[in-house]
Amino acid sequence: MSVSDVSAVGAPVAAEDVVGHRGWFGALWRSRNGRIGVVIVIVVVVAGLLGIWGVTPYSPDTQDPGAVLQGISWSHLMGTDQFGRDVFSGTLQGLGVSLEIAFLSVVIAGVIGTIGGIIAGFLGKWTSAAIMRVTDMMFAIPTVLFALAIVTALGPGIVDSSIAIGVGWIPIFVRVVRSPVLALRESDFVRAGRVLGFSRPRLLWRHILPNVAGVIAVQTSLALAWAILAEAGLSFLGLGPPPPTQSLGDMVNNSSSLASVAWWTLVGPSLVIVIAVIGFNFLGDGLRDASDPRTRTR
Amino acid sequence: MNVVLAIGWRILNIIITLLGVSVIIFVVLRLLPGNAVSASMGVSEGLLSHAQIVALNQYYGIGQPAIEQYFSWLHAIVTGNLGVSLSLRSSVSHLVGADLPVTLELAFFAMIMGVTIGVGFGMWSALHPGKWQDGVGQAVSVVGLAIPTFVLGTVLVVYMSSKLHYFPSSNTFVGFFTNPWLNFQQIIFPAFVLSLGIGAAILRTTRGAVLEVSSLNFARTALGKGVSRRAFIWRHLFLNSLTSVLTMSGIQLGYLLGGTVIIEQIFVLPGMGSLLITGIKNQDYPLVQSVTLVFAAGFVIVNMFVDLLYPVIDPRTRKR
Repeated sequence: MSVSDVSAVGAPVAAEDVVGHRGWFGALWRSRNGRIGVVIVIVVVVAGLLGIWGVTPYSPDTQDPGAVLQGISWSHLMGTDQFGRDVFSGTLQGLGVSLEIAFLSVVIAGVIGTIGGIIAGFLGKWTSAAIMRVTDMMFAIPTVLFALAIVTALGPGIVDSSIAIGVGWIPIFVRVVRSPVLALRESDFVRAGRVLGFSRPRLLWRHILPNVAGVIAVQTSLALAWAILAEAGLSFLGLGPPPPTQSLGDMVNNSSSLASVAWWTLVGPSLVIVIAVIGFNFLGDGLRDASDPRTRTR
Repeated sequence: MNVVLAIGWRILNIIITLLGVSVIIFVVLRLLPGNAVSASMGVSEGLLSHAQIVALNQYYGIGQPAIEQYFSWLHAIVTGNLGVSLSLRSSVSHLVGADLPVTLELAFFAMIMGVTIGVGFGMWSALHPGKWQDGVGQAVSVVGLAIPTFVLGTVLVVYMSSKLHYFPSSNTFVGFFTNPWLNFQQIIFPAFVLSLGIGAAILRTTRGAVLEVSSLNFARTALGKGVSRRAFIWRHLFLNSLTSVLTMSGIQLGYLLGGTVIIEQIFVLPGMGSLLITGIKNQDYPLVQSVTLVFAAGFVIVNMFVDLLYPVIDPRTRKR
C-alpha cells in the first residue's frame, strides 16, 4: 500500500505513516526491545533449523559409554547425560521440534482467529454477536486445559500437539483483531471504497487486512512465545509427540531425576526454552513499539 | 433491588456461558472416535466377551448417539454427580469434592503472592521510571514471563530435596485442618512457583497503568497543590490503576488454573490437576470433560466477581 493511500485514514494512520518512511523493519530496529528480540529470535530459529536438519556436533541419539555424565566442556557445550549423549545436540534437535509445533499452532490460531476477528468486526450485528459469544465461551476454558482436552481426544503427535495448542489461542486473535476492524469499518477510506463500489473481499483483503497487519504481527510473536511454553508443558507431562521425537519439555522431564548429580542436563534445555520465550516476547514488544508511536522506546 | 437484578443477570450469563463451554468441551473430546471402554479396561479388554463389552458400553452410555451422550452428561451435571469416571469407578463429583480443596488452596496462595509481587514491583518500577528500580522490575517481568513453571518447580524440588534435604511434599499430603503447619509447607512452594508467572504479567499491567495515570492532568494538579507523596501514590495513582490490575488478575487466573495441572504433578499434590492427568492418561472422557468444566466454572465465577468489583473501586463505572 502506498503512503498516499494510507494518509486518508484516521487514528491508525499515524502509526502506518511513521512506519512508511523507513519500512517496518527500520521502525522495529529503532526500538530497543525490537533489536533485542530480532537478534535472539534469529539465533533461536537458526539453532532450531540446525536441529531439524540434523546439523549437530554429535548425533543426538548416539550413546557413548566412555563419556557418561560429563560436565560442561568445549567438546560437550552442555555436558552429557547418563547414556553419554551430548546434551547440546539433543537440545538443538528438541528446539527444532518445539519450534515446528509452535509455528504450526500459531499458524492455526492466527489464520482462524484473524478470519474470525475480521468477520466479527466487519459483518453485521448478529454474525458479530454470535462469533463473540463463542469466543467468550472458548476464552472461559483456560488455554492449557483446552490443549489438554484436545490431546486427550487426538492423542500425541506433532500435528496433534499443534492443533491442541493452537485452538486455545484462537479467541485471543479474534479479540485482538476485531477491535481495530470495528474502527476501520467506519473510517473514511473504507467508506470511500464502499461508495466506489469495491467488492467486499477487496475491501477486506486490500484495505482492512493491511491495516491490522501490525496488530496481527504483535500477537503472532507473543503467541509464539506462549506456544513454546505450552508445548514444553505438554511434553513435560508426557503428552507431547511420542518417542523417539524429543522436544525440550521431554528433556527437562527426563533430566529431573538426574539433576541432583548432573545439573547441566536440566540447565541446558531449560535455558534454551527461557531464551526462546524471551526472544519472542521482546520481538512482540518491539513490533508493538514500531506500530504504535506513543509507546516507542529508544 | 438494582444489585439483586444485576447479580441475577450475571448469574444467567454465567449459566449460558457454561452451557456453551460444556458444548465446546464435549465436541472437542468427541472429535476423534476413541473407544473409552477399551481404553479404560486396558489389557483386560481381550478377556471380555462381546456381550460384556456391549453391556459396559451401555452402562457408561458409550453406544448412544453423541447428542444423547451430551444430554446424559448435562443431566449428570444438573443433578450434581457430574458423571461416572470410567477409570476410577466413582462419581466425578465425589472425586472433585476430594481434590478441589487442594487446588483452591494452591490457587488462593498463588494468586495472593502473584498480586503482591506484581503490584509491589509494578508500583516500585513505575515510580522510578528509567532508574535502576525500573530495571529490576523489568528484569523480574521478563524472566517471570519466560521461565516455565515446570522448570522452576523441578529446580526447586531437586535443590530442596538433594541439597537441603527438606522436602515437605515427600510426606503424604495433609489437609489444612489435620496439620496446618505441614499443609502450609506443602502448599507454599508450589504456590510460589505458580505466582511468578502471573506476578510478571500483573507487574507489566500495573507499571503501564501507573505510568499512564501519572501522565494525566489530574496527577500533575495533585502534585501541584501539594498532596503528600504517600497520598499521591496510593490515592491518586494506585486507586486509578486498580481496575486494569484487577482485570489482568482475573485473566491471569486462567493461566494459574492451567499451571496447577503441571505444578501438582511436580509437587505430588492430589488436586484437580492430578485428577485431570489421570483422566487424560486413561482416556476417561467423563472425568476429563467434567473436571475441565469445573475449572472453566471457577474462571467464569471469579471473573464475575471481578466485574462486580469495578463499581466499588471506581465510581465512574457506576451506572446511574
